[in-house]
Amino acid sequence: MTLATFISSRRFKVDLWRATPGPFKVGAVILVAHGLFAVLGFFWTPYGYAEMGAGLPLSGISWQHPMGLDQIGRDVFSRFMHGAHIVLLLSFAGTMLGMVTGTTLGLLSGYVGGWFDEITQRIVEAMISIPFLALALVMIIAAGPALAGAPVLIVFVVGLVYAPRITRIARAAAMEIATREYVAVAELRGEGTWSIVFREILPNAANVLLVEFSLRLSYAPILIGALGFLGFGIRPPTPEWGLMISENRNLLIASPVTVFGPGLGLASLVIGFNLFTDGLSRMLGQRPVAGA
Amino acid sequence: MSIFRLLASRILFSALTLLLVSILIFLILEALPGDVATRILGREATAKALEVLRSQLHLDQPALVRYFQWLGDFLRGDLGTSIATGRPIADVLGPRIVNTLLLSLFAFAIYLVLALIPAIIQAVNRGKMIDNVISVITLLLLSLPDFLLATILLFLFAVAVPILPALATISENSTWQEMLRAMVLPAVTLAIMMAVYAIRVLRDSLIEVLRSDYVRLAELKGLRPRAVLFRHALPNAIVPALNVTALNLGFLIGGVVIVERVFSYPGFGTLLIDALQLRDIPLIKATVMISAAVYVAANLAADVLAVLLQPRLRISR
Repeated sequence: MTLATFISSRRFKVDLWRATPGPFKVGAVILVAHGLFAVLGFFWTPYGYAEMGAGLPLSGISWQHPMGLDQIGRDVFSRFMHGAHIVLLLSFAGTMLGMVTGTTLGLLSGYVGGWFDEITQRIVEAMISIPFLALALVMIIAAGPALAGAPVLIVFVVGLVYAPRITRIARAAAMEIATREYVAVAELRGEGTWSIVFREILPNAANVLLVEFSLRLSYAPILIGALGFLGFGIRPPTPEWGLMISENRNLLIASPVTVFGPGLGLASLVIGFNLFTDGLSRMLGQRPVAGA
Repeated sequence: MSIFRLLASRILFSALTLLLVSILIFLILEALPGDVATRILGREATAKALEVLRSQLHLDQPALVRYFQWLGDFLRGDLGTSIATGRPIADVLGPRIVNTLLLSLFAFAIYLVLALIPAIIQAVNRGKMIDNVISVITLLLLSLPDFLLATILLFLFAVAVPILPALATISENSTWQEMLRAMVLPAVTLAIMMAVYAIRVLRDSLIEVLRSDYVRLAELKGLRPRAVLFRHALPNAIVPALNVTALNLGFLIGGVVIVERVFSYPGFGTLLIDALQLRDIPLIKATVMISAAVYVAANLAADVLAVLLQPRLRISR
């Protein structure tokens, strides 16, 4: 059997499925479900996400309103559905921004070394020393009232909070890879710094960076949710899940499902991401990382 | 000698980091392009109000002068005056810091129990059912946002089974029993959030230590399993967990913001949120500086402890 026929055979697919770690599979299934739900919620929701009077306020769970209604009669499930793509997009965009900034800075700083590295590391150290939530909130305040509640600001803040942490990881990877022979060969060929960093080091740091991306992505919905929960996130009535939990918290006695419905959604998304990350790091031979 | 040089350089670096933090905070809050006063008060603010605020913040002076003035005052212990209340920041901060310190100590005590016991159970029974069950539980808890966990605990123990107060409002004249009862829910929330990170690290390092030669030797000498575990294995396994604990202290500072908010606990975290909502820039600067200082100090302490606890590190670094 040639390799091509083997890869297209059913047996290979079965083996591949068996070889992937369990958490990865469960995580992937949860994430695909969340993705489909988000796409559906983007195009269609049972009621409008800001439509008041979709039913009797606070009337609890029913077939028409699986997550009940809030105090101005908005259907919580419709809001939850519409919020899904917002949470996912903000998380992806923010993590991506942090990843691009952090990877570029970290790889350069690890490969170039010297003064550039020294200065970058000191700034990174200082940024990490500010508790990330405090840093995020201070940046939101500094942006001023014109930008407050704008999605762009949230993306920017997530990116900026993540960038120094990713820089550290990328730098450590680059320092290790920089000692390898193929980097020395590329230097002898006369390749420039940028070319070496992006052609030689980046591809070889891909595993580490992929796990880091997945790890950061797992936490992004929590960070965005926390900003929303504290009232510094996306502007209402946009149904970001953390904001919804905060809005409905005073309904905890009257209709707990309006809080725990979106809460379950948020938790299941993060569980999916975490399982996926865990499996991914095992598949790529990286140690699962713990800690913020 | 070398150990002292190591410690001295660590302390120096920590001080440098804090200096950079002060520059960063100042840059973010006061040196961004655009008028600071307008950003604080909004576009609808009257010219008079803007003028008053500008003079309060000394905005007529150049940024560099303002920075060094602030830094100098801060280093001499003068934290400035809160714009919103007009009171000296030190007076506002003092009691809040005490409250948060009490809460953190309480949380930390619970954290030690919540981290150690499951990790020990897992390491001793590795690969068995109970190990997997605890792993799954920690992963689930790890995925729970802190504000959601706090809300769940509040719902369970203050609404569904009302045995604890929903609001952790304490004052100077509450008795210590009242304070303790008020602090249970926020402290448990914080402890769980910190423990889930530590359990994984602690379990892995315990398993590694249990496989090592000296633990084997201790077993072969015929020591009782309990003595092997607590006298020989645990002290060595704790070193890797120390860094997580320092990280956790950093988390604790961020976590108190959320948890204190959920339970309306009058601590440092709620003060930060209040300061941010009122755009009280001097108060924001002071609270953020202090939280960064605590984080840096915690990391420094963890480094020092790691050096002192593990002789091997003294040479290899």
